[in-house]
Amino acid sequence: MAQTITFGDSCAPITCHAWNKDRSQIALSPNNNEVHIYEKEGNDWKQTNNLVEHDLRVMGIDWAPNTNRIVTCSVDRNAYVWTQGEDGKWTTTLVLLRINRAATCVKWSPMENKFAVGSGARLISICYFEKENNWWVSKHIKKPIRSTVTSLDWHPNNILLVAGSADFKVRVFSAYIKDIEDQPGPNVWGSKLPLGQLLAEFPNTQSGGGWVHSVSFSADGNKVAWVGHDSSINVADATQGKSVIKIKTEYLPFLGCHWISNNSIVVAGHSCIPLLYCHEGNSLKFVAKLDNTQRKESGGLSAMKKFQSLDRQARIETNDTYLDSIHQNAITAINLYKGSKAGADKFSTSGLDGQLVIWDLRSLEKTMDGLKIV
Amino acid sequence: MAKNTSSSAFRKIDIDQYNEDNFKDEEAEQSVPTGPDEGDVCAYLNQGRYVDALKLVLSNAPLGSSDQQVKDNALALTLKVLLAIKSAQIEEAVAALSQEDVDILMKYIYRGFEYPSEGSSGHLLLWHEKAFSIGGTGSIVRVLSDRMKV
Amino acid sequence: MSATLKPYLTAVRHTLTAAMCLEHFSSQVVERYNKPEVEVRTSKELLLNPVVISRNANEKVLIESSINSIRVSIMIKQADEIEKILCKKFMRFMMMRAENFIVLRRKPVDGYHISFLITNFHTEQMYKHKLVDFVIYFMEEIDKEISEMKLAVNARARICSEEFLKRF
Repeated sequence: MAQTITFGDSCAPITCHAWNKDRSQIALSPNNNEVHIYEKEGNDWKQTNNLVEHDLRVMGIDWAPNTNRIVTCSVDRNAYVWTQGEDGKWTTTLVLLRINRAATCVKWSPMENKFAVGSGARLISICYFEKENNWWVSKHIKKPIRSTVTSLDWHPNNILLVAGSADFKVRVFSAYIKDIEDQPGPNVWGSKLPLGQLLAEFPNTQSGGGWVHSVSFSADGNKVAWVGHDSSINVADATQGKSVIKIKTEYLPFLGCHWISNNSIVVAGHSCIPLLYCHEGNSLKFVAKLDNTQRKESGGLSAMKKFQSLDRQARIETNDTYLDSIHQNAITAINLYKGSKAGADKFSTSGLDGQLVIWDLRSLEKTMDGLKIV
Repeated sequence: MAKNTSSSAFRKIDIDQYNEDNFKDEEAEQSVPTGPDEGDVCAYLNQGRYVDALKLVLSNAPLGSSDQQVKDNALALTLKVLLAIKSAQIEEAVAALSQEDVDILMKYIYRGFEYPSEGSSGHLLLWHEKAFSIGGTGSIVRVLSDRMKV
Repeated sequence: MSATLKPYLTAVRHTLTAAMCLEHFSSQVVERYNKPEVEVRTSKELLLNPVVISRNANEKVLIESSINSIRVSIMIKQADEIEKILCKKFMRFMMMRAENFIVLRRKPVDGYHISFLITNFHTEQMYKHKLVDFVIYFMEEIDKEISEMKLAVNARARICSEEFLKRF
């Protein structure tokens, strides 16, 4: 059902992770300035490379599947594009982000000819390669972002970009770069598409409140899902007049969300358990908890001890070191492992507990009652 | 300049506040809510219709109001209702509320903790326990994160 | 154990669990800085509403949270002069050794007796639920500790005075 992988001896948190195209390699950052690349050998994962170029904590990694390039960004305000030579060594190209605060997130566009970097400088850099100078240059989207950009996602048409930020707003921008692309046609989000055009803006709550932690475009590009710090899950649909459906959950805030079919979203966060929600018509419905792990009952505890813990510390648990879930600390990232946003079979989560878990949706569908992914 | 060189007061000036990119709270635009009507609430309380009184104060909570006086009045009234309901009836009262109302109730419980009076905190702790069992940690998170205060 | 202690600790536990949802966040005001936002207070959108949980007028907890840090301040019950002195000395003793306690703040917030400052670096190194347990454990032990010390002081005073009065 769920396969757990730990990398190396360290139990350092995994800040973020990215897979290569055939999922035989993974790039991850162990909560510091390094990016480690592991390769699968049989059932083991062996570290093959250590990419050290940043000098502060790495915040985002993305691996372009077709062009096999890795982009990383970090708190040291830089981003690097890594390309692999024939000898297997990775070499860097500097990206001129022109920002003066931490870079927080990075994503390749679907066609892999540009990428977007969000930052604490309250702007998004759209970066593309300039052949003459042999480096990556950037153009900025600045207005009207009022706080750190926390997450990004590309529309499948390679033009639109959705960004969530700490000023409680989700915004859809045009990221059209006229130097490298043809004029895009109109789409459901808007028709005039110069770079930086704001096509939609959704507040997380009417009154403000709840940083946006993660955003995701659906496979057809008509819907945007996001999760906020008010423990809510939201979906905005461009075909329904950009109306927003919001569901407030009873869990701790979510840090990641990802479409796994045209109507289903996986969310995970501080509650340590991935949850599945389904968007149907005008509502978002809870489908299932994907982690039903029960903690192993340890026999050695007396009733006395249990009573004491209940009485003195207001705790029901008897053995309290482990949580009732596979992840033991907040889940910070969700990525697809097999399939696409239109129909995913497996996805992976990583978190502060240093574990990477691969969830098999098909086998979960078979073993769990009432779980049907539509 | 010469006479002020030893002064360090200028170091305390917050120049970042003049940065025009800074985050600003959105202005409350809608009509100013006036809060629940005291007469109606008291009438419900006198008739013993506690759950109705609770629903009334929660659904009319002046969330968007910028007038502190209005909010304080609503708080005092809500606390009066909360403290009037007996311990045994709390569970039933909370169960009758919608999810939105539970979130607002949670906000009032935390506000009530700020002004402890004789026996009020103990009672509010009970309310907290029952509201938590319905709303979960999510409702506490929303008390923390929502910028519309009660 | 008095009747309100358990609900009080339960409420504090749930609130801490909800408030301690922290993430890494670099300053958006100062370049290459990373400071607890709850302390520097430079961007108001990164701060959450502070909440108070009180058991009575003399015992309460203030929880202030932000995107990358939370501050928990505790007001400890002090019934008489001896408890006041003991509490002051005891807190001073601990706060002078704050770095050994890792999450302890060197100075309490105004109006409270002791403060903890928990940042995302702590939640990355330690299990969050154990950090919550620690604060709860501290809260229940501190009362006990102080009343035990008070008994010890009284017992000692009695022995002293008995010895002294034997001469007469």
